Amino acid sequence: MRRFVAVRLLHAIVVLFLVTTIAFFLIHLAPGDPFSFENASISSEVRNQWRAQFGYDRPLLEQYVRYLASVAQGKLGYSHSMHVPVVEALALRLPRTLLLMGLALILSFAIGIRLGVFEVRYWSTRKARASNAASLLVYSLPDFWLALMLLLIFGYWLPILPTGGMQDLVLHDYMTPSQAAWDRIKHMVLPLTTLTLLLGAAITRYQRASLLEVLPSDFVRTARAKGVDESRVIRRHALRNALLPMITLAGLALPALIGGALFVERVYSWPGMGLMVFTAIGVRDYPLVLASVIAGAVLVVVGNVLADIGYALADPRVRVH
Amino acid sequence: MRFFIATCSLLVLSGACADRAGTADRAATGGTIVVVVPGNEPSPLFPPLTIDIISKMLIDQIYDRLAEIGPGMNTVGDAGFQPRLARSWTWSPDSLSIAFDIDPRARWHDGKPVRASDVAFTVSLDKDPKTATQLSAIIANVDSVTVRDSLTAVAWFHKRTPEQFYDFVYQVQILPEHILKDIPRDKLGTSEVIRKPIGTGRFRFARWEPGVRIELVADTANFRGRAKLDRVIVALAADAGSATTQLMSGQADWFENIQPDLIARLDSAAPVRPVRYQGTQYAYMGMNQRDPKRLTAPHPIFSDRQVRRALSMALDRQAMLKNMFDTLGVLGLGPFTRGLADTTVVQIPFDRAHAAALLDSAGWRPGPDGIRVKNGKPLAFGLLTPTSSAPRMRYAVMIQEQLKSVGVRVDIESMDFTGLIARLEAKNFDAAMMSTGSDPARAAIKQNWATEGIGKGLQNQVSYSNRVFDALIDSAIVTFDKKRSDQYAHRAYQTLVDDAPAVWLYDILTIAGAQKRLRPEGMRPDGWWVGLADWWIPANERIERDRIGLRPSASTAQQ
Repeated sequence: MRRFVAVRLLHAIVVLFLVTTIAFFLIHLAPGDPFSFENASISSEVRNQWRAQFGYDRPLLEQYVRYLASVAQGKLGYSHSMHVPVVEALALRLPRTLLLMGLALILSFAIGIRLGVFEVRYWSTRKARASNAASLLVYSLPDFWLALMLLLIFGYWLPILPTGGMQDLVLHDYMTPSQAAWDRIKHMVLPLTTLTLLLGAAITRYQRASLLEVLPSDFVRTARAKGVDESRVIRRHALRNALLPMITLAGLALPALIGGALFVERVYSWPGMGLMVFTAIGVRDYPLVLASVIAGAVLVVVGNVLADIGYALADPRVRVH
Repeated sequence: MRFFIATCSLLVLSGACADRAGTADRAATGGTIVVVVPGNEPSPLFPPLTIDIISKMLIDQIYDRLAEIGPGMNTVGDAGFQPRLARSWTWSPDSLSIAFDIDPRARWHDGKPVRASDVAFTVSLDKDPKTATQLSAIIANVDSVTVRDSLTAVAWFHKRTPEQFYDFVYQVQILPEHILKDIPRDKLGTSEVIRKPIGTGRFRFARWEPGVRIELVADTANFRGRAKLDRVIVALAADAGSATTQLMSGQADWFENIQPDLIARLDSAAPVRPVRYQGTQYAYMGMNQRDPKRLTAPHPIFSDRQVRRALSMALDRQAMLKNMFDTLGVLGLGPFTRGLADTTVVQIPFDRAHAAALLDSAGWRPGPDGIRVKNGKPLAFGLLTPTSSAPRMRYAVMIQEQLKSVGVRVDIESMDFTGLIARLEAKNFDAAMMSTGSDPARAAIKQNWATEGIGKGLQNQVSYSNRVFDALIDSAIVTFDKKRSDQYAHRAYQTLVDDAPAVWLYDILTIAGAQKRLRPEGMRPDGWWVGLADWWIPANERIERDRIGLRPSASTAQQ
């Protein structure tokens, strides 16, 4: 197992280097730079002075080497769009996205797996068929549309939930702790519901398909032949095997923790990583974009390693190989 | 008759009472407003490095000028200017220096008194190349500021000009020497002070939570009187859609730029009302007169004045305006917005038959596919359009459609703002859907349209050059007689419009959405926010957030 983890970590370092390099050159290939904003009163002379201050007037290769050197020292640079060091910007935005996406992932996996099992276990009932139709419907809805509809219904037509932000901008700081907690929950309901519905529907579909694939297996037939109760057959025999693809899915979902769901952050003005990266790309905030790419790549790699380890722990056949 | 007199007396009395109540309301302080702004984080809250409207709005609340331009926006001499940090000023007999008498009551938000040395420090900082600010070019006529005594700063000018007072006073906001003197000038852009400004304005900075909000609170000890509102919070929204939703749901109180389609839905029952104000931005289709492939050569199409005029003539600007903004649009008349415009400038008329004849006579004849051709080359050009501006995207399509009818092919090249600006800076375009701000000062027009604005790093991006225009605008700038100056300026504008380096399309629509309880005051063409410290909310219309008063929250106390 140790060797397995060591090899994976080595792969991870190579992947990180490659991702950083590709991201660096790709973002510099896009037209413009951090100082190409629309303001006719700022002359190019002044813009060039600003470029020189941050070293953007140097040859690209030199900029690349300097960037790698500073990253190696743990310095991620200065964010031109947020006017703070990049580390500070990440530290500010990351927890917000982790909170939202972490909760959404936990809820969607919990609901999705349960619904998937329910739909298979009670496939002939009206409730199971309704659940199947509903999960298919939500799965096929455009994410933006669903978010906007929820916003319109609960934020505007029935104005019972806030339409944006993480908290009441004015009153939150003057609330009692319980009021402040309730305020946070209220602001989180719409983005969390949107994400949970969309992710949950997808997981339900995967879980259902995976379980249906496992049910005709010999070991399930044997369990039934031994007279084991059907719900026990599903929970103890079929589900354990059908959960293996979910481990992969969970590993793949990990990077989404920091990318967030951009559309949710945009529609609900949730000030998280997704929105920050989107804005940073638009204004060519090179250091912030690159740091976010690196953070994303780290999570992709960690997610994959964790999924592999999880797979190996759950499935003895993988361990043998 | 007695009954009539009694009734009248009662009405008069009740009117007077209501009036007194209104006056009392107007004088009452309190209230919190949330100004929602879409898009990116504002630029630094530091006057020399401010580049966007929202940070300009904020620094105008936090910092003061020596004097403030009057409501008439006069830029010649000092007529109409109102005292701010300077309570008075004295011109030298040769007009090459002005002594500003600093108001002794003026205090920085940290309690330190404002001194003449702050003025001298500010000018030296703004002029220092290491600061890298556009202000150094704008105040190039200011040689230096000397300190006569602790409350008298003397500004010295290189030459006497009609707008020298405006150039100095309007552009320079006074900075605190005691806060900034130890920070290297080339490090100011990344220093902490740009995020935690200390000024002298009627609002002081409270906190900046990146991506979420910037908060200002009334400076209760301000020498000009405290702001009527307790607090102004700038809430950062993801985009215009989110900003509109926050306004309509009551989370926000003011959104400076609502979309035309929303205005139609704002009936008397809606909690929000539209507030129209004059802006400074105008949009136009600029035609590059240099060949983007070889900048030293003239553009194969747009270097011909006759062709430019024909293209202008072929476009029904009024119909496009109606299509885009319905009755709300304001037609562009030249290089200015309507609030600062010379409305007597004669426009190039819409006349497609005449346009076709002009193109014929310029040698552009209809080809087999309907597109005009000259020397085997089609009359076709690319039109750069920013994807983030819905009006400009729609205008580009309308222009494409209308010019097709006279045998001109337009290829729309849509791209994000950053990419578009890079192409404009490199002069790598045929035509572009551009926008720029107009300035009350006459000289400002030169950077975009005079020959001296052409060149690498300069702002005349379409490379328009006409020595007659240059001479006329120079005459307007140096003439002290306002009437004669206006005449020169009018002739300059007429020359520019006749030359058609651009098709003047529209004033950028400036209609804000405001919660009905809000009473805005003192809006000016150069900023809806100018009178923000005098905005008020009637006591009987206040909501929960208006009643929290000035007590600091736990978060602001920490900052």
